[in-house]
Amino acid sequence: MDIFHNLIMGFQTASSWENLFFCFVGTLIGTLIGVLPGIGPSAGVAILIPITFGMNSTTAIITMAGIYYGAMYGGSTTSILLNIPGESCSVVTTLDGYQMSKKGRPGPALGMAALSSFIAGSFAILMLTFIAPTLANYALSFGPPEYFALTFLGLTMVTSLGGDSLLKGLISTVIGLLISSVGIDTISGLTRFTFNSMYLLEGIGFIGMAVGLFAIAEVLVNVEEPMQQIFTKTKLNLRSLFPNLQDWKDSLGALWRGSIIGFFIGVLPGAGATIASFMAYAAEKKFSKHPEKFGTGVIEGVAAPEGANNAAAGGAMIPLLTLGIPGSATTAVLMGALLIHGMRPGPMLFSTHTKFVWGLIASMYIGNIMLLIQNMPMVGLWVRLLKIPYKILMPVIITIASVGVLATDNNIFDMWIMFFFGLVGYFMRKMEYPGAPMVLGLVLGPMVETSLRQSLTLSYGSLGIFFTRPISAVLIVCAIISLLFPLFRNLWGQWFLKNR
Amino acid sequence: MKKADLITGFFLLILSGNVILSAFRMPASRSFAPGAGFFPLWLGILLAVLSVALLLKSTRYVSDPSHASLFPTGKAIFSVSAVVLGLAVYIVLMELIGFLFNTFIFVAYLMKIVERESWKLTLIVAILTTAGLYIVFQVLLGISLPKIQFGF
Repeated sequence: MDIFHNLIMGFQTASSWENLFFCFVGTLIGTLIGVLPGIGPSAGVAILIPITFGMNSTTAIITMAGIYYGAMYGGSTTSILLNIPGESCSVVTTLDGYQMSKKGRPGPALGMAALSSFIAGSFAILMLTFIAPTLANYALSFGPPEYFALTFLGLTMVTSLGGDSLLKGLISTVIGLLISSVGIDTISGLTRFTFNSMYLLEGIGFIGMAVGLFAIAEVLVNVEEPMQQIFTKTKLNLRSLFPNLQDWKDSLGALWRGSIIGFFIGVLPGAGATIASFMAYAAEKKFSKHPEKFGTGVIEGVAAPEGANNAAAGGAMIPLLTLGIPGSATTAVLMGALLIHGMRPGPMLFSTHTKFVWGLIASMYIGNIMLLIQNMPMVGLWVRLLKIPYKILMPVIITIASVGVLATDNNIFDMWIMFFFGLVGYFMRKMEYPGAPMVLGLVLGPMVETSLRQSLTLSYGSLGIFFTRPISAVLIVCAIISLLFPLFRNLWGQWFLKNR
Repeated sequence: MKKADLITGFFLLILSGNVILSAFRMPASRSFAPGAGFFPLWLGILLAVLSVALLLKSTRYVSDPSHASLFPTGKAIFSVSAVVLGLAVYIVLMELIGFLFNTFIFVAYLMKIVERESWKLTLIVAILTTAGLYIVFQVLLGISLPKIQFGF
């Protein structure tokens, strides 16, 4: 089998000392970002792009992917111990996780969170291993119309699923696409929207924008609403972390259902780990023989969402690597990082950068084992780290972000871009505009535009080309349905209320 | 929210107008193919439609006292603007006084003026942050950070 051959080669790449070390560093930083409320994975990955510049691209992406899936592990720690979710994808875990620790069982809750993360995460990587190459192979025959349809679908799904308001999501997407058109037009060589500024010729810097929109805006929001951290004294040793036999019996169903739900939601662009965790929790409540006990500290309520968010993180790598369609803010930032390192995600990636792709996939298997170790025996260390107040973290986050952006090109102008988008991001959060579609628009913009213009050149200006080719027709129809979905949801909701 | 939507709507409408105008001015492609202005033009039109929708939506709001103020007041607005102002000054001073002094002063400012921490903690955090960043970026990654004379 080709896959096994490639996977073995991948493990050879991933197990070099350098890659092992940085895989460890990545997962460690990921857990740290997950544990600390007030800094999310998208901000974390964006801040660390400049630090990975000196590395070879495989090592760099292994590190950043480690941050991404590592954050899924860490997020549960604060949810369980403090009732404060470390990340949005661990919000549901607070419901039963915190109740468990109030009842004096924080150990099994933390242990089950780590173990279910490991099992579901590994399941998703296994699926990634087998599905991704097949999908990439299939997508090799895609021409410009299919590419346009695909990126269009990616954008519409992130827009319609990403936030509460479709209108605000659309505005965010369109602005992101407009920002991507700043600079030299790759087809005609003309400059656009540069306002005669030399700096804007190369376009708006991705790192500056992503760091501003995620890291700086996050800091500003957190400065405004100081977090209250109250500690419950907890004693944790390794033995107390292991769930007992009854816990396992209770969680087994939740675990495999959570893995499958999480994986499929992760593969779909737009939904991501947060929605996956909510869906898995809701599904578990439906399946349960005692749904009334949910919210009082049942272990299924921890296993299902924690498994689901890890499975979703693995699943999200499939559209990112094979089609070049990131489905969430963090994967959009990861795609930006891939592009900066000269890797263009898409079907060609598997044939042109075989060694890189398989090295990355293999490193995810290894990273998951590292994360299990970091989150089981070392959980006490993370709990102690939680006592660092945000007041100290805030200046550290701002300065790392600023210096990283500066170090990218040694250009002060990039810092101003970061500053500007920090303010924009702050206002966007206040007015409930989602940030993910904007970054996605910036990342996908060049591909959307090029494929659209190439398609229209092929068809002599007729939009029919997108509907006469079967694959692109199906994708476009899916995109339109996904845009109409929030409208239907509202109408159906109103109808439901009237006819109750 | 109503006022915020109204202001954003107008702002976006003006922005889209500018985009459409400049897209029109971009030269068309010589052969038969969409030119450089094609994509921005349609995005501009889309944005104009969306901003009109936002304006229409904002007129339909009934006043909702629970969402009276979207933005902070009092101490919170001081903290946010102090951080924003500090960051702007930090960027301006970066090439003037060099990375080391600048970062030290900025962190100390954030700790002492914004967070009102003790002098002891302020100094410890400022020194450790500056040193840590210097070691990571200058020493380990070999990036030359802005410095003034005497190697600082």
